[in-house]
Amino acid sequence: MTQPLIIENITAHYGTTKVLENLSLSVAEGELVSLLGASGCGKTTTLRLVAGFLQPTSGTITLGPKNLTRLAAHQRDIGLVFQNYALFPHLTVRENVAFGLKQRKFGGTERLKRASAMLDRVGLAHLADRLPGELSGGQKQRVALARALVIEPPLLMFDEPLSNLDAKLRVDMRVEIRQLQRANGTTALYVTHDQEEAFSISDRVAIMHQGRIMQLDTPEVLYQKPANAFVANFVGFENLLALSVTARDGALVTAQTGDGALMTLSQDQLGAIPDRFLLATRADGLQVTTDPAAPGLTATLGLRTYLGRAYQYQAKAGALALVANGPLSQPLDQGAVVTLTPNPEQCAILAPE
Amino acid sequence: MKRLAGWMLATPATLMIALLLVLPVAATIGMTFGAPGAGTWGVAQPYADFFTSGFRRRVLWRTFEVAGWVTVISLAGGLVTAYVVSRCPPRVKSILIVLAVFPLLTGVVVRSFAWLVLLGRQGMVNNVLQWSGVTDAPVAMLYTQGAVIVAMVYIFVPLMVLVLVGVLENIPEDLLQASSSLGAGPVASFLQVTLPLAVPGLIVGAVLVFTASFTSYATPHLLGGTRQMMMGTLLHQQAMVAFDWPGAAVVAAIMLVVIVATVLLMTRLARRMNPMTT
Repeated sequence: MTQPLIIENITAHYGTTKVLENLSLSVAEGELVSLLGASGCGKTTTLRLVAGFLQPTSGTITLGPKNLTRLAAHQRDIGLVFQNYALFPHLTVRENVAFGLKQRKFGGTERLKRASAMLDRVGLAHLADRLPGELSGGQKQRVALARALVIEPPLLMFDEPLSNLDAKLRVDMRVEIRQLQRANGTTALYVTHDQEEAFSISDRVAIMHQGRIMQLDTPEVLYQKPANAFVANFVGFENLLALSVTARDGALVTAQTGDGALMTLSQDQLGAIPDRFLLATRADGLQVTTDPAAPGLTATLGLRTYLGRAYQYQAKAGALALVANGPLSQPLDQGAVVTLTPNPEQCAILAPE
Repeated sequence: MKRLAGWMLATPATLMIALLLVLPVAATIGMTFGAPGAGTWGVAQPYADFFTSGFRRRVLWRTFEVAGWVTVISLAGGLVTAYVVSRCPPRVKSILIVLAVFPLLTGVVVRSFAWLVLLGRQGMVNNVLQWSGVTDAPVAMLYTQGAVIVAMVYIFVPLMVLVLVGVLENIPEDLLQASSSLGAGPVASFLQVTLPLAVPGLIVGAVLVFTASFTSYATPHLLGGTRQMMMGTLLHQQAMVAFDWPGAAVVAAIMLVVIVATVLLMTRLARRMNPMTT
């Protein structure tokens, strides 16, 4: 039933503007992959290409044995959940859910049975005879989900399905979506601009920028080991230090910033370090110490803000602006001279730009 | 004080409507009732006279028939045109709308005269038919029901297109995409999504066209003549040729009743069929 989705070398244009370039992506059977990025990154375009609302300039899209590339949208057999729900306002909840079954020529009683069973699963059996206009946002999205699932599609796609819901409901709904997708074992492609949402429900996430996939990995890898500066920045590595190696001593490497400040890093902890590299750290990954002898960068503290679990400092090390978190036990004042020591567990080594 | 000022501001318009609309209509309707005991039907005798005359009954029926056909043909033609127009890119769309509205810029009389030229015995249509050998002798097209219907459709299709383009454009693109993602082809999507959602607009358009064609005067007068008399032309004949003012008033009253009934019926239908208003 469920099928793998393979997108190969897709290029797409809106008029003369190139919006996707040579994009390749595969989603394994039963896997949920999210496309994550800011608006205009090409994530929705990718979804529209797979749905058949847009034709690629080149490349192929296959779903299991079926080549979708030149197939009309209504022949693709994909369950689609829209951002604005897109429920038919003139049909009742049950008729909305049964719409896809009707197109598949299911008989009236069979349609009714399946639609009712699906409404039961999303907990809306009691609203079956209402019109969409009488439902709340969360209920509408459940109907949209039921309508997409009831046709038992080999692929489910979600276009920012939760962005019109309030925060609490968003969390509940994403758990529900994940449970239903897991239970059916349906391959799924999920488009969102919300990092937490993408990371929490996906098997893998593709971070997109300017029509390209910058990195496609599990949420854990993306969060801890971003592959490039863009992804590092996107997942919250506030500090990017350009360094070059000046000395190697076994696993220990001494590296120098543009200003000439030195720091020592261990390849045992960070993996192989090339001669020129970027050191990416989160604010939490820079330890603030007042001990001038500690290894690291000497910096002057600027503005202090209170985060609840820590103090955050805007710091200056020479010309470099950095963000570091310090312990609550020891608030430091503006102008204090400190040492910032990178914590290897919260650092990533990236290739220079 | 404020309320008083409000009333005073509304007074001129209210007076004008009372003087120029309510009073004349009331007077006309009052005129339609005969003296009590004037005939077997008492005060309603003039109406009985209308309905017992086979000629007048035929005129009323013909008016229904013509208005009905004009409405149905305009709906069909308008819907197809509006559907095509609403799916065009914005630039092309505005050009097409201007073109569709173009005929509305000339008066009804002028447009009807144009048909007179086209459909006459020596008219262009007959010339082409004879020249191409389709017929030997000129075909009588003028002063037929067909001529009246064709000319009225020509007048009302642009109106219908205007109404329906607005309605079709308001149907969100999402719904059509949802429909096709669920497996509905273009025809199924049109029948199951676009058409039901356009029904309120179709009803508004139908009311406009039906009332306008039911009451039309110039077109049936010029293209139907006395042979294809309709309620509008009958009214004119009664009032201005026969000087039978009560008789003309009866015709006017019947037209008024038909129009009001149509509007009420259609708006009720529209309310019931439009899911968004419930």
